[in-house]
Amino acid sequence: MSAYVVTIATLMVVQAIAVCGLNVIVGYAGQISLGHAAFFGIGAYSTAVLTTKLGISFWTALPLVIGISALIGLLLGLPSLRVREDFLAITTIGINFIVEAVFRYVPFFGGALGIGGIPRVMFFGVRLKGIPFFLLCLGFLVLVLLICWWLTRSWASLACYAIREEEAAASTMGISPVRFKLLAFVIGTAMAGLGGSLYAHYMQFISAGDFSFPISVGFLAMLVLGGMGTLWGPVVGTLILGILPELFRPLVDYRIFFYTLLLLLMIRFQPGGLLGENSFARKIITPLLKGLRK
Amino acid sequence: MIQPLLSAKGVSKYFGGLRAVDGVSFEVFPGEILGILGPNGAGKTVLFNLISGIYEPTSGEIWFSGERIDGIPPHAIAKKGIGRTFQIVKPFASLTVLQNVLVARGITRYSHLTKVWGSWNSKGEIEKASEVLEKVGLSDLAERKAGLLPLGNLRRLEIARALVVGHSVLLLDESFSGLRHDEISRLEDLIRSIRKDGLTVILIEHNMRVSMGLCDRIIVLDHGQKIAEGRPTEIQQDKSVIEAYLGGKGTTHAT
Repeated sequence: MSAYVVTIATLMVVQAIAVCGLNVIVGYAGQISLGHAAFFGIGAYSTAVLTTKLGISFWTALPLVIGISALIGLLLGLPSLRVREDFLAITTIGINFIVEAVFRYVPFFGGALGIGGIPRVMFFGVRLKGIPFFLLCLGFLVLVLLICWWLTRSWASLACYAIREEEAAASTMGISPVRFKLLAFVIGTAMAGLGGSLYAHYMQFISAGDFSFPISVGFLAMLVLGGMGTLWGPVVGTLILGILPELFRPLVDYRIFFYTLLLLLMIRFQPGGLLGENSFARKIITPLLKGLRK
Repeated sequence: MIQPLLSAKGVSKYFGGLRAVDGVSFEVFPGEILGILGPNGAGKTVLFNLISGIYEPTSGEIWFSGERIDGIPPHAIAKKGIGRTFQIVKPFASLTVLQNVLVARGITRYSHLTKVWGSWNSKGEIEKASEVLEKVGLSDLAERKAGLLPLGNLRRLEIARALVVGHSVLLLDESFSGLRHDEISRLEDLIRSIRKDGLTVILIEHNMRVSMGLCDRIIVLDHGQKIAEGRPTEIQQDKSVIEAYLGGKGTTHAT
């Protein structure tokens, strides 16, 4: 594999981890978030600060990074999740801009220059880059997918689904909407933090612009394309929106046009996403899988 | 003297200048079927929303088995054993019928963060949920997506979920409306059997024949106020009730 392919593949896997987190918030609990890149950034900046300023390793920093992302998710989710739908969308956009501004203007976070010199991940004495680092990221993605799969079988996710479908009815069944929305938000932001941490150690240099609002829109586009609330949707969506721009690199000026067209077509013809219920892809895949099991 | 299980004391709910519920008091005794009647916009559903905690009363008190419950959030009220259905059905549309009931079965877990990580997909849970579906006659449709069911089945699904939550009181909001004749008599039988199991039922009902046949007592609301209370036969002959439904003196063309 050429270095170019490895780079694209690694970034896609890292993004897929964040999109899986977004799926817990938007797909499972039905709470729109247009500020997911902020938590991706919080993960990246926490690991950058911890490893460059305190000199601790990626592995020691990781639980702290996930904890910080989840804690900030909790603090920002607490007021945000009291509003719904359009208002929640606007609130989460606001969160994205505020977090980005903090990174950009607070000298502690390197200001406009960002933070450089983020060390590579050490694994049993080996400095991971290229394919080994890609495999590490892939391992984390598998772990995240396993957590998501395990979540879908839990009472917690059943409560989240109920809130997504009919909040008032859910509340008359003993489900506190605020509690379970927050739970989904915290799990989702923790996953974003993990993705952000891997991103920082791969790029070795980060700046506020890496976590701006358009990145959040991209995450949401990947999720919608792949299929909200499905297990594999985030992975499929990230793959497609990760590869397409590379294939259409000559058409770079029209990229946004194609994105928009793609999203409009999806919403019109496959509102559940590529892997959503009753989608074309699922109609083809399901019989195939059944055939394989036989 | 028997203590009332549920009681409202001068409960009011104002939306700006609109007095949706205006100083209503009533009591429900254990094992009773209480009917709430009244023309459209009389405040019946608002009263249910006050009892189930979706609204907080502007003034007045609501008591349930010796405890004041007004102002408590809906999920906490549900935990006390008060289940309800909605007049405009609210199924969890993309979940299966069985999963809809399972959501309700989780009620004992949702308030403990340690208990919500277990799997709902266990044999025991599914069996118990299936029993409830059996009771309301939805067993055949257990694996169907709730959003695809016709209204009659959705009303039964609402009752199934309410039955799981409401081990003490059931609030049924126009569960009979939109049902066929045979469905109505089946539902009547179901409510009678629920009462035999020791539950207390409060139901909002427009169908006079149903409410007269089913209820032990009836209260009538009009413009947010209680205008009558009594046994079905008394309500049938109550002058103010007839006026509220058919129009008072001076109304022409009243039929």
